[in-house]
Amino acid sequence: MATASSKAAERQTIALSFTVNGRAYDLDVEPHELLLDVIRDRLALTGAKRSCDVQVCGACTLLLDGRPVSACTLPAFEARGKKILTIEGLAENGTLHPLQQAFIEHGGFQCGFCTPGMILTAKLLLDENPDPTEKELKHFMHGNICRCTGYKKIVESILAAAKKMRSGARSGKN
Amino acid sequence: MRFEKEIEIVNSKENVWRFLWDVDRFIACVPGCKEASTVEPGKQYAATMVEKVGPFRVSFPLRIDVVESRDLAYIKAVAAGSDNAVGSRMKVELEVGLKGDGDRTVLSIAASVDVLGKLATLGHSIIKRKADQVMEEFAQTLKHKLEGAA
Amino acid sequence: MLRRFRLEEPDTIQAASDLLVRFGDAARLYAGGTELLLVMKEGLVRYERLINIKQIPNLNQVKLDNGAISIGALATHRELTVSPVLRESLPALVQMENNVANIRVREVGTIGGNLCFAEPHADPGTLLLVLGAKLIAAKKTGQREIAVENFFRDAYETSLESDELLTEIRIPRPSAAGGLAYLKFGYLERPSVGVAVRVEFNGGEKKWIAEARIAVGCAGPAPRRVEEAEAPLKGKSIQEATHLIDEAGGIAGRASQAISDLHGSQEYKEHIVQVLVKRAFQQAVQKS
Repeated sequence: MATASSKAAERQTIALSFTVNGRAYDLDVEPHELLLDVIRDRLALTGAKRSCDVQVCGACTLLLDGRPVSACTLPAFEARGKKILTIEGLAENGTLHPLQQAFIEHGGFQCGFCTPGMILTAKLLLDENPDPTEKELKHFMHGNICRCTGYKKIVESILAAAKKMRSGARSGKN
Repeated sequence: MRFEKEIEIVNSKENVWRFLWDVDRFIACVPGCKEASTVEPGKQYAATMVEKVGPFRVSFPLRIDVVESRDLAYIKAVAAGSDNAVGSRMKVELEVGLKGDGDRTVLSIAASVDVLGKLATLGHSIIKRKADQVMEEFAQTLKHKLEGAA
Repeated sequence: MLRRFRLEEPDTIQAASDLLVRFGDAARLYAGGTELLLVMKEGLVRYERLINIKQIPNLNQVKLDNGAISIGALATHRELTVSPVLRESLPALVQMENNVANIRVREVGTIGGNLCFAEPHADPGTLLLVLGAKLIAAKKTGQREIAVENFFRDAYETSLESDELLTEIRIPRPSAAGGLAYLKFGYLERPSVGVAVRVEFNGGEKKWIAEARIAVGCAGPAPRRVEEAEAPLKGKSIQEATHLIDEAGGIAGRASQAISDLHGSQEYKEHIVQVLVKRAFQQAVQKS
């Protein structure tokens, strides 16, 4: 793991080598740079959103080595040596992940602002628990907030995707 | 937030009144308040309010305006200031009433404290608790100073 | 946005402690950062340096150690929820941890960080109080044990010294003849009231309560055990205690140092404490 190194007398930079959606990057970041800003502003992956900025809404959710994090409150250097999955990396060769498809078919989004975070979190849910009860789903997704849908369609979308995935449809990239 | 307190001081109304207008000595009774100065005697003063809760520090430079005063009876002052580092404003409306005979004075203090901005949203209950402590300590220190010295 | 800071990454406890001594108030320990970074973003605190202690090995393990359960301070909430040791020996702790904040905070936030930041509206401290946990604080010259009852001083204030790191939480294994429950209530992002109840019965016959422990958190500036509420229950049968639990809950509510704020009025919080004490007691009895 790279240790902190000094460039100019005042500015400390940290070498950040990581992969995002399967692609390797080597960047220099300052300690105070947040992962969300690096992903959005430097890598132009704007699916993750800055919404509440206090890690409660889930709009900035990314999967870091398969685990969900609030990119708005995670320093970029914490991604050293890790694999990140953003919403942009979910579809494979233009084929939507069953969750993405289900959200479209079942009206799981309106403005779409919470949707990337919703789908990434739901993907993890179904990876861990392919047949969740509604209670398990709601507990898992508790930290993803939606202002538009009232959640009913989101739950339906996720359960529909789960059903499809259990019956053998492509389960999506890890 | 509103605080009210009544304290009995073993000292004459005159001495208490004099003390209240002695900016340095008065401000010294308010925990966290420092750097008192007179801008216009009887009308405007300045001080800095510094408070600490755990790792959080605030520093409010205060402008204090005397709104009303009745000799040996009543003072109303308004103190206001902003801590730009934390994006918050503080405003205190303070009323002090004096009553008494001979060497017993009853001092009634009423303070209306408003904190606006980030601090208020994030730390409302902490502020309230702190303000309570400050008020309590202020009243005790005031009494102590006025009874200790002539 | 965060203000610029320098990152230090010591790989030993001694080195971390040295950095704390060297930089004093200008530096802060950083683990998950789920509380710290929020207040830094708001500009409520400023640090020139953050000391990332996640490079220090062996501070996140959960294991049995001489009949006690040892939890590394750097264990994340999530790691606690999937720990086989905890699932077997402290299911109530697992359940509490599984409901801390949200899935992302649980992934990144550490139990040590939660305890050391001492945010009033938090869960773990309240449960640790009825478990009689001991917290291990280490620095360059050695380490000491702090009983959890002596750990929380005030809101955002613990009894850790400025050059100490919390490294471990040790919990005596609760006896089989007992039950434990933690309940919380809140409708804002953080819990407004948290109550932990632990009952121990004499032997395995469940005849009478050998010991009852009640702790209240979130309502006041720091979590606390309420011995005044525990006393009426000691030596009573379950039935007798059930009749007394409302009174015990009332005592706990009044002792909770609740004040009126955005989470609710003082009276409301005290009432919720009373309700949760009763329910937690019932659950603890059922689970025993």
